[in-house]
Amino acid sequence: MTAWMDPRARRRFWKNRGARIGVLLVGLLVVFALVGPLVSHHDPYASDFRGGATALGEPVGPSATYWLGTDRIFRDVYVRLAYGARLSLVIAISSTLISTVIGAAVGLVAGYYEGTEGVRVPYLSIAGALVGFVLVVAGHTRAGGTALALAALAAVLAWIVKPGAIASGPGLDADSALMRLVDVGLSFPFLLLVMALAAAFDRTTVSTILWTLGLTSWLGTARVVRAKTMQVRSLDFIGAARALGQPVPRILLRHVLPNVAGPVIVLSTAQVASMIVAESVLSYLGVGIAPPTPTWGHMLYEGQEVYLGAPWLLAAPAAAILLSVLGFNLLGEGLRDALDPKED
Amino acid sequence: MRSIRRKTEAAFGALLAAGAFGCREPPPAPLPHGSSPAPVRGGEMHLASFGDIKSLDPAVAGDTLTGEVIELMYAGLVDFDAQGHVVPDLAERFERSDDGLVYRFFLREGIRFHDGSPVTARDVKRSIERTLHPDTPPTFSAFYDRIVGFDDYQGRRADHLAGVVVEGERVVAIHLREPDASFLAAFAMQNLRPVCPSAGDRYDDTWQPCGAGPFKLEAWDRGRSVRLVRFDGWWQPGKPYFDALTYTYGMNMSTERFKFERGDLDVDRELLLADIFRYQGDPRWKPLGAYDAAPSIGGEEMNVEIAPFDNVEVRRAVACAIDREQIRMVKPPALTPLYRVLPPTLSGDDPSFPGQKYDYAAALEHMRRAGYPYDPATGKGGWPKPIVYVTYKQGLVEYTAQVIQQQLARIGLRLEIRMVSYPTYLAMSKRRGTVAITNSGWSQDFPDASDFFEPIFATAAINDEDSNNGSFYSNPKLDDILVRARKELDPAVRKRLYDDADAIVCDDAPWAMEYLYRYYGVHQPYVRDLAQHNVWSNYVRDAWLDKPPARTSSARASVRLAPRSLLGSILAVLE
Amino acid sequence: MIERVLKRIAWAVFVVWATTTVTFFINNVLPSDPARMVAGPQARPKDVERIRAQLGLDRPVLVQYGRFMRRLMHVGPSHVDPRDPEHGSCANLGPLHVDLGKSYQQRRPVVTILAERLPRTLLLAVAAVLIQTLLGVLTGLIAAAKRNTALDHFTVGASLVGISAPTFIIGLLLQFVLAYKLRLLPLDGYGDDLAEHAMSLVLPALTLGIYGAAYYTRVVRDELITAVKQDHVRTARAKGLGVVRVWLRHALRNALVPLVTLVGLDLGALVGGAIVTETLFRWPGLGALSVTALLDRDGPVILGTVIVSSAGIVLANLLVDASYALLDPRVRR
Repeated sequence: MTAWMDPRARRRFWKNRGARIGVLLVGLLVVFALVGPLVSHHDPYASDFRGGATALGEPVGPSATYWLGTDRIFRDVYVRLAYGARLSLVIAISSTLISTVIGAAVGLVAGYYEGTEGVRVPYLSIAGALVGFVLVVAGHTRAGGTALALAALAAVLAWIVKPGAIASGPGLDADSALMRLVDVGLSFPFLLLVMALAAAFDRTTVSTILWTLGLTSWLGTARVVRAKTMQVRSLDFIGAARALGQPVPRILLRHVLPNVAGPVIVLSTAQVASMIVAESVLSYLGVGIAPPTPTWGHMLYEGQEVYLGAPWLLAAPAAAILLSVLGFNLLGEGLRDALDPKED
Repeated sequence: MRSIRRKTEAAFGALLAAGAFGCREPPPAPLPHGSSPAPVRGGEMHLASFGDIKSLDPAVAGDTLTGEVIELMYAGLVDFDAQGHVVPDLAERFERSDDGLVYRFFLREGIRFHDGSPVTARDVKRSIERTLHPDTPPTFSAFYDRIVGFDDYQGRRADHLAGVVVEGERVVAIHLREPDASFLAAFAMQNLRPVCPSAGDRYDDTWQPCGAGPFKLEAWDRGRSVRLVRFDGWWQPGKPYFDALTYTYGMNMSTERFKFERGDLDVDRELLLADIFRYQGDPRWKPLGAYDAAPSIGGEEMNVEIAPFDNVEVRRAVACAIDREQIRMVKPPALTPLYRVLPPTLSGDDPSFPGQKYDYAAALEHMRRAGYPYDPATGKGGWPKPIVYVTYKQGLVEYTAQVIQQQLARIGLRLEIRMVSYPTYLAMSKRRGTVAITNSGWSQDFPDASDFFEPIFATAAINDEDSNNGSFYSNPKLDDILVRARKELDPAVRKRLYDDADAIVCDDAPWAMEYLYRYYGVHQPYVRDLAQHNVWSNYVRDAWLDKPPARTSSARASVRLAPRSLLGSILAVLE
Repeated sequence: MIERVLKRIAWAVFVVWATTTVTFFINNVLPSDPARMVAGPQARPKDVERIRAQLGLDRPVLVQYGRFMRRLMHVGPSHVDPRDPEHGSCANLGPLHVDLGKSYQQRRPVVTILAERLPRTLLLAVAAVLIQTLLGVLTGLIAAAKRNTALDHFTVGASLVGISAPTFIIGLLLQFVLAYKLRLLPLDGYGDDLAEHAMSLVLPALTLGIYGAAYYTRVVRDELITAVKQDHVRTARAKGLGVVRVWLRHALRNALVPLVTLVGLDLGALVGGAIVTETLFRWPGLGALSVTALLDRDGPVILGTVIVSSAGIVLANLLVDASYALLDPRVRR
């Protein structure tokens, strides 16, 4: 907290031209999202088959009635863009929040416990798991399944009881467990995961999308927070707090977190930008929010089909995405330079 | 407010002026062609598609794109003419017994497979049994279940299909266990066509495709292209006219158009909406464009077991509430409004047939009779809860879904659109008790009215997990008519029966019929006798190329940078 | 040292196995029917049922999983006959067989399909990484050398825009300008001969390259600026060595470690295929394959692409870590 309340940091921030542009763009976006829809009297969900179509039956281009033209089924593009702005902001910010909270939590725990003793995984469990796996592969699924269950049980018992003899085995601490999870997660195909989550949720609404994005994006944050935590935990006042007997969660939250906050904030700002892009990629691939709700990504997808004949359908959402993402990135850059300046 | 609006208007206008450089250029002039009065022999045909084919084995061919090549490589005993009537092909004649239980085919003399071996009645039987064998991945074996011994053969109780009898070197008889008026149409399809002896009698996916059609396979570069060359042993003298055909797959639709304009492609059947408008609006190109006649029907499928669609009055209201002209505007060149089940090619297109029509007042009246009156002025009434509407991502149905949503809102039915992937959509819409309303369609499997009723509206087609009858509609009266119509050999009586069936379905409205979907294609002026066929798409079997003399091929010119074209292109950007 | 290497390799294998297993079970949980996808929407239920039995989809999930694992790696005859029902779909290195089954849709061995697609994806990956490395290093170098001048600000700004635009926007823009309007390059696809391959490669490689270059520019610039402040570089400058020489030999070497990391990880990630770019440009690589396989619910192909892409990422990680040991003596213990 100290770093970001620092008046010097704030001055550096405002002097940075990129940061100012970033604030401007983000501000414009927020204003557009709030006020944009109110300025137009069109309904984003109503098709105008007469006024919105040319004689041949194609959507009209930008005109006095339809500022950005009409879309594939003759709805006003401008007002859909404005509502899309609201949605993009809500989704991007919420999913970043989810992702940051999970990532920070995981990173803090992992970084704090890095190198510690942790729990032992009994060799018995490992052997049992291998035997079970071989049995399942050989076709004896029931026997194999039982062996795996027993192996898991043994591991749980060892964790609870912790006797010396049966619990001897390689060590597994919170850090390596979590980081291994992160490793597996990072080598996972993003698309499959998203589709699986979408299927699990059974419908694609705003909340399922933002939970999907949040749950798949915390890995990077976790890594950064872990690295920073490892740096911070060796500082004196942490040691003092530990000596005083403060409980670990309190140490993490009250002492470690504030010092880690800086990079986390910078990362989050950049992540909002990438969430806007991610949502548009999801819509583009067909697993985004269900129509007729207007989202920029979906408008981009709809526009791509016909852009060779009606390029405004593509230009509007593309420009919107570009400018918003740019704004957040500039903002993030500015924050980073303000909190952690490289002296020139 | 007004000045702000003007300023925002100006700002967006500026932004869009920078980005919107899409000028609508008219299509270039059609390429020159010769003026030969009689078919010219020679030349190469070039076709392309953005899709891909997975197999060239007629036993498992199912989709339209594969069918285009199969039609050239494999000839059957009978085939369809352009109007959809069954005519002899490899068989010189065929006859049907009076009771309709025996179909006898007499093969021509001297017909051969691509490997040179003669086509005999034994080959016909072998090919039929190969396709209908229980180990063959089936696509439409169910069409032929009336053949005597079908169940025993598929159930592995018999080694051969008893109903297919070799009566001589070139005579084959097929016995049915009951009369089936659709059998001939099903038999003329591609699945049972004779395959070379090298195919053996069992399906094998490593087999090198070889048949008895006018073209034989020269090369198949998987995922990229297929090349066919003329088979000199084809029974029709002088045909086929052109020497070879190359079919390129995985080509983007815009690339297809470019190549077509430059003369590298001879037919373009996959046009972007904007391009269809361009070609249809240009008087030079209009005579060179035609609609594929093989029809697909589309409509809203309502599950008669799930409320509110378990109430027939609600379904009738939906059928009346759909403004089919508005639906048509989603893709005007491809859609024609449809008011009954049977497409015009099979129904005779009788304008006096009542069918389902757009009538807003009637729709409100049906809702009132259903017990859910809706007042459009106040917006009160109708069905109290939102209804889940399942659809999938595809260029047409996701848009019609949104238009339907607007139209049904006007009679008090609020739809909530749920987008799923296509496989999920198939699984959900075919499972009992899962989906209340969705869009559905049906492509003609073979040109017979039974194909549009039995799989979709008959009780026998209902299945708990995997039902083609997605509305789970069951009407004993309709079933009875369909059974009688299937056996009825008198065409006039048959037509009346199917008209009755159509009237029942339109009135009970398990589907609200919406549109007929057809593909629009353009061809080069030098491609002649390109049939507009009621069954096969891209039917080039009888076509010939009439190119003007001394025309240099510009095959690869598109990729090289000619300075003049570069300058021209730069100028094009600035316009 | 050997022990560590072995542990890393064992862990890598575990990661690939875990990813594959999870994918297998997710794939089976998704509500859809691959048999129906193969049969087509209009096939009658009896026919769909038969296809389901032929594909082995009517057996319980664990049995299917066991069968998949069993056939994944096994020993068999050194010469594989494609008609052999047992080993027809195996790829082999002598007696060692790898069998990923047959694609439901294409009815061909998955290993064959992967073998066709992988080289094209690798080609795109290498081209993209080359472009982004050269472009990124060059612009980063220029920006750092001229830092705080207008050129620097412009470069940083441009790179930010590059990072901000999602790949498919960059791709669409390039396609619209270079292929559609100027007709310099093919719109998409792969081409038929070497010349056409090369021309078709340009747009997708540029799309990926620009996006990556934007990122690299920032990294290189930041690293160089930090490196230049370090003592040994200042000493070299003080000794009077030429600017260029100092920059290239001393400063750049420090920037090498993070750059190598990025290049390695990018290559690894691109092995799985750049999904959006390949789809946009219809580049017939692994990315496009994984999308169609996912949409078609073609299980064997999905698993094949997952194995290849996670193996690529894991392998890249391994190699990058190994290269640390070579490049930076401080890392070696």
